[in-house]
Amino acid sequence: MTLLDRTTTDANVEEHLEANVDEGELKILADQALEARKLIIDMAASERGCHLGGSLSVLDILISAFYTTSNDSDSRVVLSKGHAAAGLYAALHVTGQLKANPAEHYGQVGHPFTGHPGPKVPGVTFPTGSLGHGVPYAAGWALAQRLAGTSGRGIAIAGDGELQEGLVWETIQVAAAQRLANFTIVVDVNGGQNDGLVADISPLENLTERFTAFGFTTVETDGHDHESLIHALQTSTSQPLAILARTVKGKGLKPVEGKAGSHYVSIDAARAAKWKRVVR
Amino acid sequence: MTLSGRDSYRRTLTELAQQDSSILCLEADLGGKKHPFAEAHPDRFFNLGIAEGAMIDMAAGLAEAGYKPFASTFAPFAALRAAESLKLTLGYLHAGVTVVAPYAGVSGAWFGTTHHCLEDLAIMRAVPGVVIAAPYGESQMRAVVESAAQSQRPHYIRTGRNATYTSLPFTGSPPPVLTWGNETGSDVCLVSVGEEGTRLCLEAGAVRDGLSHAQLCYLDQENLRTAAAELRESGHGRIVVVEEHRRTGGIAEALAYLLPEAHVRGVGADERWPVEGGDHAETLAQVGLTLEAVLAAIDTKAETYR
Repeated sequence: MTLLDRTTTDANVEEHLEANVDEGELKILADQALEARKLIIDMAASERGCHLGGSLSVLDILISAFYTTSNDSDSRVVLSKGHAAAGLYAALHVTGQLKANPAEHYGQVGHPFTGHPGPKVPGVTFPTGSLGHGVPYAAGWALAQRLAGTSGRGIAIAGDGELQEGLVWETIQVAAAQRLANFTIVVDVNGGQNDGLVADISPLENLTERFTAFGFTTVETDGHDHESLIHALQTSTSQPLAILARTVKGKGLKPVEGKAGSHYVSIDAARAAKWKRVVR
Repeated sequence: MTLSGRDSYRRTLTELAQQDSSILCLEADLGGKKHPFAEAHPDRFFNLGIAEGAMIDMAAGLAEAGYKPFASTFAPFAALRAAESLKLTLGYLHAGVTVVAPYAGVSGAWFGTTHHCLEDLAIMRAVPGVVIAAPYGESQMRAVVESAAQSQRPHYIRTGRNATYTSLPFTGSPPPVLTWGNETGSDVCLVSVGEEGTRLCLEAGAVRDGLSHAQLCYLDQENLRTAAAELRESGHGRIVVVEEHRRTGGIAEALAYLLPEAHVRGVGADERWPVEGGDHAETLAQVGLTLEAVLAAIDTKAETYR
């Protein structure tokens, strides 16, 4: 439990500190995450390969966001960092939203499991992969729910590299101006991007201060601790919410953890079998 | 008193929203200080600020939730700056979003190149499934907007700045793809696109008696096929298309492809960039779009077309 890891930065927050995720549910989420990680490895072993590092880093965020919005048809979780499609397909499958096993058909003709996700995949409503676009789409969904008077939310999951796209900040500006308190952006802060480290290419320092300065309630959390993520997602605030989830690229798989080279990986079946034995 | 295209749009949408609570009006800081929709329905009017890409993507999220968002900004910012958003939302998602784009062509005139848009039809025609309209005059704009609100299909509607025109007589909603301004037995048929194209064709018709003239309201490929069939049936040997758009990717090119048996000639913007001030007509002249150019095209013999 890492609630103490979490820091909030403004007075608009009324924290929900009561532990409302019991141990049994957390165990289910942990099992789902492990199963999903194995599916992601399977997709890396497909003839196409996959964005392995980012899929593993964002997976626990996806699992936690789906848990938070389960049985809530008025909310939408949008994976804006669409290159982590393998992570999304795996998370949708282990949470029961996607019946077919995506690893069996990943990247194949006749199946919708493309390298970046589109709305032909059950549980996906917006095509992402060109970075930035999922953020305003989720904000539009949030605005619609506010207009309709539901308690539904729009939750966009973005990468930290993705924050280099102007469209993200354009939307952050709009969301703050519209006081979209039911809009949340979760940033998978894994420190990596296609060509290397975010810090080397176009650093994104002082992210908490940046989001807060834009008028967001900003919460930092461990991006691999489900309970902590769920608490962060349940933050009650009168402002739009930014969750900076600190993650590790390639999380759960020691051979690739923290390595920029894990961004896109293609492996053979033998290595996949080995990795699936050690993944956690 | 006739309204300009954008004023006609604003009034019509404001009226439609009285009956239809799902209609939303989005602007990106170019809706003017006294937008009638903002005054009549402030809870459904959103000036999102100078954020065109975000506006179009947000509109898709609103449409997914069952609303009918109408998003408006100048054509260069809609069709070019937010082009990728239009591809993903109006195109791929087929979201029920209507984009209304004033300042199309060089109607921005002395405002300069950033405020010109001679490329939007080429871009939008390449995105499948989007209904493209360039209504002429107030009543046709009204009918196009009404139809867009009813159809829930993605629409891109281009119009000018402040020019006001009286639509050619037409019936129906949506308006016909093709409206005959004049149908004669002439060899040449003028085909006009949009406000200035139609103005120039009407002026040409006043100079040269007895010319056929058809005005196109809808410009996407599906509608152009319908227009082409009607033009084919009309039996004209030569077709002169007048449009405030680059020739590349414009409607003359499209009709030439759809009507291989006809002689199609286009009068559009050439490859120059207007670098001087001037009013709308003077700016059109800087890219070669003048009455003289239309008359010259009418007088050009078919055998010299290619």
